[in-house]
Parts: sequence; C-alpha cells; structure tokens
Amino acid sequence: MSGRFRRAMAQWATQFWADLKSSTDAGLLSIPRFLGLLYGPIDARLPIDQALRNALSYRLAPHVGWRHALGGIAYLLFIIQVVTGVLLSIHYRPSAQEAYPSIQHIVSQVTLGWLVRDLHTWSANLLVVVVLAHMARVFFDAAYKPPRETNWLVGVLLLFLVLAFGATGYLLPWDQWAYWTVTEALNAVARVPIVGGAAVGLLRGDPIVSGATLSRFFAAHVIVLPWMALALVAFHFTMVRRHGVAPPKRASGAAGSGRRFFPNHLLRSFMVAVLVCAVLITAAVLWPRPVGDPANPAQLPEAVLSTWVVVDVSRAITHYLGPWGLAGFTLLGLGLALVPLFDRELERDLRRRPMITILGLTFFLTFAVAWVAGRQLRSVPHAQTLQPQATEEPMSPPGPRGAAR
Amino acid sequence: MRGSVTLATIALALAVSRPAPTSGAVRSATTQSVEPQLDTAYGCLACHADKRTAFVQGAHAERGIQCHDCHGGDPAAFVLPAAHRARFVGAPGKVATVALCGSCHSDPNRMRQYGLPSGQVAEFRTSRHGRLLLVNGNLDAPTCTDCHDAHRILRPDDARSTVYPTNIPATCARCHENKPLMAKYRLPTDQVEQFRLSAHGVALFRDQNFAAPTCMGCHGSHAALPPTVTEIANVCSRCHVLVGQAFDHGPHGRAALTGKLAGCLGCHRNHDTERVPADRIASTCAKCHAPGTRAHTLGGQIQQRAVQATEDLQAAERAIGQMARAGRQTGDARFRYQTALTSYQQIAQAQHSLDFEQLEDLTRRVRSISRDLRGMAEVAGEQQWEHKLLLVPVWFLALAALALAWFALRGLEGRAEKG
Repeated sequence: MSGRFRRAMAQWATQFWADLKSSTDAGLLSIPRFLGLLYGPIDARLPIDQALRNALSYRLAPHVGWRHALGGIAYLLFIIQVVTGVLLSIHYRPSAQEAYPSIQHIVSQVTLGWLVRDLHTWSANLLVVVVLAHMARVFFDAAYKPPRETNWLVGVLLLFLVLAFGATGYLLPWDQWAYWTVTEALNAVARVPIVGGAAVGLLRGDPIVSGATLSRFFAAHVIVLPWMALALVAFHFTMVRRHGVAPPKRASGAAGSGRRFFPNHLLRSFMVAVLVCAVLITAAVLWPRPVGDPANPAQLPEAVLSTWVVVDVSRAITHYLGPWGLAGFTLLGLGLALVPLFDRELERDLRRRPMITILGLTFFLTFAVAWVAGRQLRSVPHAQTLQPQATEEPMSPPGPRGAAR
Repeated sequence: MRGSVTLATIALALAVSRPAPTSGAVRSATTQSVEPQLDTAYGCLACHADKRTAFVQGAHAERGIQCHDCHGGDPAAFVLPAAHRARFVGAPGKVATVALCGSCHSDPNRMRQYGLPSGQVAEFRTSRHGRLLLVNGNLDAPTCTDCHDAHRILRPDDARSTVYPTNIPATCARCHENKPLMAKYRLPTDQVEQFRLSAHGVALFRDQNFAAPTCMGCHGSHAALPPTVTEIANVCSRCHVLVGQAFDHGPHGRAALTGKLAGCLGCHRNHDTERVPADRIASTCAKCHAPGTRAHTLGGQIQQRAVQATEDLQAAERAIGQMARAGRQTGDARFRYQTALTSYQQIAQAQHSLDFEQLEDLTRRVRSISRDLRGMAEVAGEQQWEHKLLLVPVWFLALAALALAWFALRGLEGRAEKG
C-alpha cells in the first residue's frame, strides 16, 4: 500500500516538474481550460475562454523594457491600497471619538493589523513616487504627444486623485500630527483668492477641523475617490491598449513584433511585483508609522511628524524657498500637466526641446531633492505663542530641575 | 438721492461725535448714555479735545464721570476765564492727586456698589512710595496716575491696562530700571530682567499663567514694600501652601522664625526665583552646612533620592511615549503616571520638611510605577522587534519566487530565440 502511494506521489511530482519546465502558453493556459470545463455551459453562451485567449495572445512592441514597468507598479500599489484599505475599514471607525482608539485597536489588537496599516501608509507614499516616476518616463519619452495626449491628461487626473486620496486619508488616524498638518494645509488653501475660503468651508464643515471634517474626508476617501479612480484607471488602460506603448524616438522595429504578453511579459511583471511587495513589507516593518498623541484642537504639538511624501515635499520647499517657492513649484507642475496642450510638435528628441527638458528636469529633480530634505525637517506649527490658553499639561515633563523646590 | 444724503449726514455726525471704536471689554452700555455729554456741547473739549479719546476708553467715563468732576471748572463755558472758575483744580500735583483720587476711592459707601476696596490710599500711606511722597514730599516717588495713567484709566482686567498682570513688570520698570533715579536710593535696576527669566516670569509671560505672581504678588501694590527677613516664608507660602507648611514644620522653618535664616531665600533667589536642580541640592546645603556634618550628609542623601525620582519619572514618560508610538492604548498607563507624578511632587514637601522617611517612601512609589510602565513598554518594544523576524520568510519567499521566475523566463526566451 505504502509502496503504491510512494510511486503515485513520485509520478505526480515528476509530471509536475515536467509541466513546470514546459510551462509555456499552452501549459499555463491548461489551468483556465480545466476551469473552463466547470463553466463550460456558461462559456458556451459567454465566450470567456476566447476573450481570455485574445487578451493573452497580445504581443508588445519590441522596445518595451523594464523601465515601462512603472505603470504596472503603480497599478499594483493601487491594488494594495484597495485591499489593505478594505481590511482597515473593517475595524476603523470614522468619528472624532472612536477614530483614534480604533487605530490603536488595529495596531495592537487585530492580527497583523499593524502590517496592514503600515502597508497602506507605505504604499500610499510609494504610489505618489511611482506615479511621478511613471509620468517622468512618459514626459521625457515625449509619449504625451498625439495621439496619446488624452491619456497623459487622464494620467494627470489620476495623479490628482492619488494626491486627493493621500490628503483625505492623512486625517483619518486622528492624532496630533494628522490633525495639525491638515489644519495647516486647510489654512493654506483658505488663502487662495476667491475660491479658497469656500472650498475650505466645504471640506472642513466646521470653523475648525472637527468630527464633521473627519466624516467628509472619510466619505471622500472610501466612497467618492475610489469610484473615480476605478473609472479613470479603466479608461487609462483602454487607451493604452488602443494606442499601444509609444514607439521609441528612433524606430527599431514594427509594433507588435516584440515579446508575448503571456507568459513572457506577465512573468516579468510578476518578478517586479514580487520585488515591490518585498520592499513594501520591509519598509512597513522597519519604519512603521507611529501613533501620535490623540488629536487635541486646544493644544498645538511641539512638532509635527510628516508621514506622507507630499507633506515632506511641500514642507521642504516652503522651508527653503518660502510660500512663493511652493506656489511656483505647484504652477510648474500644473504647467507640465498641461504640456500636451501647447507642445504639439511631433519632435521628440530631448536635445531639440531644451525648454521642456529643463522645466521637466527642474520639477522632477526638485521633487526628489525636496522629499529627501523634507524627511529631515521637523515642522513646528505656526502661532505657538497664540495658543488659546495654556492648558494644564496632563503629562507635564518634570525636567531635570524638577525635584527640589 | 435725498435718502442717501440724509444717511451720509447721520454717518458724518456720528463720526464727528463718537470716539474711535475700542475693544468690547472696556466699553459697556452705560457709555452710550454718557458720551453725548462729552460732545461739542461740553466746554472743556473746546481746548482739551486731545484728552477725550484717552478718557472715554477708561472705566471712569463708563460711570458717567466727566472732566469737571476731577478738574473742577465750568463745562458750560467755552472761553477763559469763565471755564476755569468754579472750584477749578487744573492739573493737580503728585500729592494733591492722591487726595483727589482718595476723595472717591477712600469712600467705602461710594466704592461698595462697584465691589472695589476703599483702602488704597491708606495702604499707599504705609508703602515706601507713599512715605516718600506724602511724608518727605519727595516728588521722585510715584503717585496714583504714574501707575494708572491720568486719563486712560483702564480696568485691571483690560489687556491694555498698565496694571494688567503681564504689563505690571513693565509699569514698575519705568522707574525701577531708571539707573540715575535708582542710584539715588541705592536700588538695583535689574530686578525686572531677572524676573522675566525666573520661574515666575516664564510662567507669566510664556505660559500666560496669571496665577504666577508679578511684582505686586510679593511686594503688594498700593502698600508696596520689600518683605522683611521673617516675612519671606509667609509671602511665598501664600501660593506654595503645602511646601510652606512643610517648611514651617522642619528645622529650617524654626530657624526662619527667629530670623537666623532668610526664609526661602536661604536656598532660592528672590527676583530670579528658580527651582534648585535636583543634582545641586547637596551643593546648596553646603553653603551653610560644612562637609562631614550630619546635615550635609542628609543633603547628599536627599539629592540622591531626588535625582533618582526625576530619572524614574522621565523614564516613565518615555515608556508611555514608546507605548503610544507602538499603538498601545495608554489610558491606564497615563493614569498611573499621574499617580507617580503626584508622589514626585510631594517629594518637594518632604525636602522642605527634611522628613527623610517620607521622602524615601515617595521615591519608592515613583520607582515602582516607573518600573511597571517600563516593563509594559519593553513588551511593546519586543513585539515590534518580533515583527522584524517576518522579513526572513518574506525575503526568502520573494527571492525564491524571483529565481524561479528568472529561470522560467530565461527558458522561454531561449526557446523563442531557437524557434
């Protein structure tokens, strides 16, 4: 009995190894084919199998390489955001009274809750960086030129959505860092002429950041923005499939003569995804987002810890270049976002487009440098001396001179 | 058109007849009924309109007091000499000012309705300022208007007032930082500067803590005098009640009663008041007690316990911060910290009474709570370290997956090239 079982297991293992070695298109497709037996009656009416074959038999352009993986990484990070966000929303409670304790519960009580939360935080940070890196690649490849200018603008909208996700999610931990960073940000927005005050009134829902603000930000973060992102991502991908990846600046082969989407490209994408996930988990484990003191509108914190790349960048630019520097940087970014509207020449060589090249390099290098610099700065909220009332410190530090009076 | 002209006329009339708007704290409903009398029909303003703006901001204008109530004269007259008849006082001198203010402010029947004391002039007579002015006729000494202003007399709770808590040191400094003036009386001029840097000054100016004393908190206001040696402990004890009681019950308190020790100033300073740092207790004791004496040894023991308790409390605070950053719920820990903080603050009493047994007991309590909190923080820290172990299987699996995928990809691409 045991001999037959061993022989059967050895036979299965041999077959498995042989299948693995010959895992080609046909080999891997056998899995959906096998599943197809199960949904055969359905497939007879809805040709899912055929649709799958058509999708997977796609061939990429020959010049598509590793640097084109940035878009896929952004999509992967977006998926991680969705999955971890759903898991967090099971335990998170969006009210001024319960938000902070629910974060403590997630971090200290829920199994692997700390990991889910830090993956969410870190993927939010990396998403901004990767999206900008992806846009930089598209920008310097001049891939925004016709007929792909619409997709560039959709990509810009997706970047704004990513920023809106981060901005609305930033408040949700409801600790002092979140509270006062959002307060500072909204105060800055309120200074924008004409629309600033009205926009902040709508977002804040109260004279100060309060439970009303938290509800608004939560609703936007988990309901409004995800649907918008889903629609735009679908549109973005559709446009990529329709127009294909932009050809190289110097023609090197006919479109569609490159490697197969399945399994070659997907295997490469899998390698990138594994690497990204490992890096993400490492960052989440080694540099977890600490939980600050609970939000207290009556007490300014001594320092505000930034946990989002956009805050780091804006803080560093404001620190070194002043508020006008930040305004200029924002305008430069907006100008680059709208670049296909006025740069419609078909010329794609960087050397023949010096102005655009300089502007792009200025923006992306400033962003990178400011991110690094912003991580080193610790923000002290303004108007510390204008604190409404010197409240009794619940945790007044004794100081080195405390004991003897 | 006619309507708009009428409105413009009314607005112009209001602008001419009303003073510049002031903060709501000063003005009250009674101002409305008084102001019309201080308008262009009031004779004094024909020449002294410049005083009106300051005066109407003050507390006296709110109560219907007018120029002629203090200065005399005839407000119905618009020209001299008619305006300066009828018990005209003019600008009273320093001594006369005290009598003039006292004519109302020393009348308890008049002051009762406002809830104001009526003993300021009597107190002033007992003060160093009052004796110089009223007995010696020394015009260097201040009179009422030097501190309260002559016309813009604001309530003490008005932040613009010269006697508002945070403004009092500057008001005193007008004279007490005047070096030529103070040199005549052999008084130093750095008291206010010292006060600003002291524990009291920091509490007042930086923390806006109005429970902190200003100059008048220790010296008195109208009866301003420096406390004598035997009075110092009593002055400090008005705020530092528990420490004061402990001091009185200790050997130093008994010495202070007989004038052998300058009360609290034996260890602390007056204007630049500062807590004695825990690590300098022994050196403070050594100022009076020679090394090797029992008292000096006790000082060393107290210092050791105080330093230990300070470190324990700081460690407890760090532990709570560590737990909070790790996402732990810290409500219970903070409550226990408050208990430790209470014991820690009671150590100050034991220091002043020199009750070493009580001090040791309190120190033990602080240490015990601190140890518990540090234990809880260590558990949280260990769990965070355990999280890092997760990286081992993660990277093992990741590298294995990458290797398998790489080989598979190489095989595929190799076959494709051959094909």
